[in-house]
This record gives sequence, structure tokens and C-alpha cells, in this order.
Amino acid sequence: MSHIEIGQTGKALCRRVFDEMMSKSDAVYGILISTVDGNEVVHSFKSELSSEKLSAMLGSMLALGENIAAEAQQNNCQFVIVENGDGYILTLRLKEKLVLSVIASNEANLGILHSLSRNGAEKLASKLK
Amino acid sequence: MAQLKFIITGSPGAGKTTAITAISETPPVRTDEATTDSLASSKSETTVAMDFGELTLEGGEKVFLYGTPGQRRFEFMWKIIAQGGLGLIVLVDCTREDPLADMEMYLENFSDFIGETSVVIGVTRSDAPGAPSLDDFYNRLQDSDRLFPILDVDPREADDVSLLINALISSLEYTTT
Ligand SMILES: Nc1nc2c(ncn2[C@@H]2O[C@H](COP(=O)(O)OP(=O)(O)OP(=O)(O)O)[C@@H](O)[C@H]2O)c(=O)[nH]1
Ligand SMILES: [Mg+2]
Repeated sequence: MSHIEIGQTGKALCRRVFDEMMSKSDAVYGILISTVDGNEVVHSFKSELSSEKLSAMLGSMLALGENIAAEAQQNNCQFVIVENGDGYILTLRLKEKLVLSVIASNEANLGILHSLSRNGAEKLASKLK
Repeated sequence: MAQLKFIITGSPGAGKTTAITAISETPPVRTDEATTDSLASSKSETTVAMDFGELTLEGGEKVFLYGTPGQRRFEFMWKIIAQGGLGLIVLVDCTREDPLADMEMYLENFSDFIGETSVVIGVTRSDAPGAPSLDDFYNRLQDSDRLFPILDVDPREADDVSLLINALISSLEYTTT
């Protein structure tokens, strides 16, 4: 069995890292950790979004992104990014079985988003054993 | 040269990914990821986006096979994958609680699609204790005046998957002539 269980303390720890990430850019309005098979783990949203549906969709997207990278003979997929008129969605693998997604408005700077997501992921990975 | 897009759907563990892997002539596209919930007790990986494989028929036509994720939370993928499809294979796993209900559920999920195309049912693990017989499946369909081909298959066997594809092609030819 490989249930992913993060207790209340674990979730609180994650939310604290989410807060730190959000404090680095006001444009970030949603951060979500889900499993690679599309289940929600913990999220922090500043607007009304369906974390359940997003968890499933982001799992599909990361898997497709990683497959497309491999098909195009590119290695080490770091992010799958959706860039839209209204903003950005960055998704990256967190440890082996988790997915971290950062949702930001179009006021964000993509370079900053990259670094805050990458640094956040490292911090989260060290907290989640 | 003709190209046929077929979809394979059905419950988690029915063998959709297995079937496409068994028959594809090219390395299949697989998007299986580790299971992290209650499904983990029966399988270690599950499809989260799609499977894709291809094969060539004797006449030279290409068949593109798309497998859906089985789990309901990936429902949004079913619609995306079904676009432009010419036929549907529903795999039903007889080790599950109520295989007849599973068949109904996937037929219902794809009812709009089936209205415009053909469907074939593949019954897997029919040797499971207490499994419904093929007649039980036929009768259930007939209760609401439906008649679809139903085949007992092992999705690990390319020949069996081929039978499903041929049945689908035959019923397409039947409905279009
Ligand atoms: N013994 C036996 N095993 C089977 C048979 N059919 C399928 N299997 C096994 O059942 C499992 C099916 O797994 P998958 O192909 O991943 O199932 P899936 O339908 O793609 O499932 P999801 O992607 O989770 O929806 C594989 O391990 C197959 O080897 C059968 O007829 N007999
Ligand atoms: Mg599968």
C-alpha cells in the first residue's frame, strides 16, 4: 500500500511554506499539492477554485507534459507551464508521488515564478519525509 | 490511406493499458502513475491521462487506439479523447463487485458518442468465481433493446485485442452500408 497521508501538522507546515511563497509575489493566488494520480493533498487558494477537479487535471497535465518532453527527446522535465491571457499555471513534480502547482495572475514575472516555485518545492520536499 | 480512431474505456484494472500495450506496433504512449489511494491495494499504477498505440490492418488502414483513464475523477479526459473517434471498446472486469453495472455505467458515460458510432464489449477475467455469463451481459443489453457484440477476452493477448478491433470494424461496416 502506498497511501499518501499528510496529517494536520504536515498540512500546516505546507501552508506555512505556501504563505512564504505567496509573500514573494502578490500575483500568486493559488498553490496546490496533489498526488501524481490526481488526488488533492493540501491547497491554499485566494479565490474560489475547485481543488478536487484541478488536482485530477494537473495530474493528467504533468504526465502528458513529461511524456511529450520525452517524445521530443528532451530530458529532465522541470515544469509544465500554461501561459494565458490572465496569468500562469506552473506545475512541477514534488518528490516522487506529488505534484506542486502555482497559479498566478498575469502581473507575475515568469522568472520570479520559476524561482519561487523551485525554491518552494525544495523546502516542501525537505519537510515532507 | 484510411485512418481509424478507436477508444478503449472501462473500469480501473479492466485492462485498457494492457490491451493497448499488447497490440501496439509502436512503443505505446503510457501515462501511468503510482496509485496513492484505496486503488493501491489492487494495482500499483493507474492511467492519469491517456494511452495511445497504433497498428496496421491487412488492407493497410491504420488504427489509432486511445485508452482512457478508468477512474471517474479523470472524466474530463473521456470527452477530450472521444473527439473524432469512430468506435468504442468497453472492457468489463468480472472480478469487480457488479460487472453488469460497470458495463451500464461506461455505456452511459459515452452515450452521446455511442449514438454516433459503434461499440463492442470485451469481458475480461470471466473465469472469476460468480462472474456473470456472456448471456447475462446480452440479456442486460436486451432489456433496453440494445444489441452489441460481446466477446470474452484476455487483454494481455494481442490476438484477443485484435478480435475486439475486428468486431468493431465489422459493426462499423454493417451500420454504414
Ligand atoms: N489473470 C488475468 N489478469 C488480467 C486479465 N486481464 C488483465 N489482467 C491484468 O490486470 C491488470 C490490468 O491493469 P491495467 O491494464 O493497468 O488496467 P487499466 O484498465 O488500464 O486500469 P486504469 O488505467 O487504472 O483505469 C494487468 O496487471 C493485467 O495483467 C485476465 O484476463 N486475467
Ligand atoms: Mg490504464
